[in-house]
Amino acid sequence: MSFKKTVDLNSDRLRRSRIFYFLLFLFFFVIGGFLILALKSLVLPTLVGMLSAYLCIPLLNILRRKGIPKGASLLILFGGFVFILFFLGKQIVDILPDEKEKLELRVQIQYKVNEQYLAFTGRDDFDSEGNIIHSIFGEELQPVIENLNDFIALTREERELFNLYSDPIQYADPIDKRVIGYFEEVSKLPYPIESEETKVESEDDGPFGLAPNVELMAGDSKIAKLIDALSTWIVLPFVFIFLLVDDGNIKKFLIDLMPNRYFEMSLTILDNVDDAIGNYLRGTLMQCSLVGLSFFVGLMVIGFDFDAAALIGILAGVANAIPFLGPVLGLGIGLVYAMIVEDINSILPFLSFDPIIGVLFVVLVVQVLDNTIFQPMVLGKAVNLHPLVVVLGVTGGSIIFGFVGMLFAIPTIVVFKVIIATIYKQLKLYYIIY
Amino acid sequence: MSATEKSSSGLATLWGNIFPSSGDDGKDSLIKILKEVPLFRELRKSELRSISKIMYERNFEKGEYMFETGQPGAAMFIIIEGEVKIIKIDNDGEELDLATLSEGEFLGELALLDSSPRSASALITERTKAMAIFREDLHKLLETDPQLGGKVMKQLAVIIGIRLKATNNLLLKKEKE
Repeated sequence: MSFKKTVDLNSDRLRRSRIFYFLLFLFFFVIGGFLILALKSLVLPTLVGMLSAYLCIPLLNILRRKGIPKGASLLILFGGFVFILFFLGKQIVDILPDEKEKLELRVQIQYKVNEQYLAFTGRDDFDSEGNIIHSIFGEELQPVIENLNDFIALTREERELFNLYSDPIQYADPIDKRVIGYFEEVSKLPYPIESEETKVESEDDGPFGLAPNVELMAGDSKIAKLIDALSTWIVLPFVFIFLLVDDGNIKKFLIDLMPNRYFEMSLTILDNVDDAIGNYLRGTLMQCSLVGLSFFVGLMVIGFDFDAAALIGILAGVANAIPFLGPVLGLGIGLVYAMIVEDINSILPFLSFDPIIGVLFVVLVVQVLDNTIFQPMVLGKAVNLHPLVVVLGVTGGSIIFGFVGMLFAIPTIVVFKVIIATIYKQLKLYYIIY
Repeated sequence: MSATEKSSSGLATLWGNIFPSSGDDGKDSLIKILKEVPLFRELRKSELRSISKIMYERNFEKGEYMFETGQPGAAMFIIIEGEVKIIKIDNDGEELDLATLSEGEFLGELALLDSSPRSASALITERTKAMAIFREDLHKLLETDPQLGGKVMKQLAVIIGIRLKATNNLLLKKEKE
């Protein structure tokens, strides 16, 4: 076959390949886009499953290096995963306040907020004259307190529920008399100001489902909700196990699609991106765990009970993935609990903190630890983002996807930054672009 | 690589039963060829199978480059069928043929050590099917199966040593002339 004929044949093939791959890409793009929109509820469980598998790959390698066969290593990892999912999940659900406890908490918080505010401004009630702080800042502080009261206060239906729970004849474990006392006090306040309907609606979307769900109490089946959640989250273990079982087939599939010219470059890009993202995600997970653990230990030391310290530790650890806002959330939750806690006994007898000062101290220590030890140790300087990008990213994420958006904004930006930077660098190294 | 060949090998990786490959999957014959490659001569059949799992099959058309001078090396290639010419452009811009490699021979082995630039280009002179091993995959194999990874690395060192000696001898001969 002459050289010219070969070249003609090759260019024909090239044209046909381009059409084929373009159509293939279009097909997957349309189908993929449609499926993501249609199966929105599956996106989060799939992402969490992928993330868990990704984080577990180094563990799998460690087990295999110890001479444990792949099958057994997978079984150990999957066992560990199921254990964490069910055991820790159950523990967290147990710690989370139920409907009755949520009502109690809100009444306690509202009472204590007002009590602290009055004490801060040196007054006995809202009508009396206050101290110098009140005379200078009173007008600015008043609307803040009113908004806060309005946000926390129980709606009419919730007050009825509270009364129901307080009745010792109907409930074996009625609400504590002390809290009932608080309830009577806060009921005298003119909150909530807004209409009852809007109040119920706005609170249904609270983060972590902590906001009271009146519908649930009204008899909506918990089992139906559980089955509904299970039917979507059931994909998580499947995604997890199949990604770990995968013997490089997904990577081979992607690489096989690449033309020869880009073969070595694609391998390098995939590997570099995998390394950078893996290190970043594992580092962030480690950093969040360390922050959560430090919170837990610190709060235990200043005398918080185990459940509260664990719950605040977990929340502060998760929130820590959100730059800037994370520590503020941890501080906020800690302070709210410090305000309502009644009897606080530090495990170290020589430490007798006011709980609010205690929480401030713990947050300060954790922040110092995070900035001087945890972050430099586990994250390094591999993926530096400009603070402006971080702020815009977190804000944008919260606008588009709410709390989940805030949580995933920075990792998503980091992933894209690493992918683009690596592709750019490799394209230049392989003389594909200038 | 032709569109049909590439799509069948690519898609068959994930959906083997949807786009079945025609006839024999060629695994046994691949193991036989690998056994003949000096780098893997010391390996048992089960070890060769493990190695074959981290290999990528590539098909090249005549006139294509497997790799070019100056590009960072990332993979070593083993020729399963076909012919590859190793060429270098000298200072006067003339093309020098350094070697012609065919079935069972391998090239680009230095890429298994680091990503330093390729010292020569590999031009396909006959339609070629090759298996490629990526450096980082071999390094990961060293972590998960140190015994197997160690054997390959040791053999690589031996081969590079032999080639270095051969180059030294050639240099000596040239100087004497």
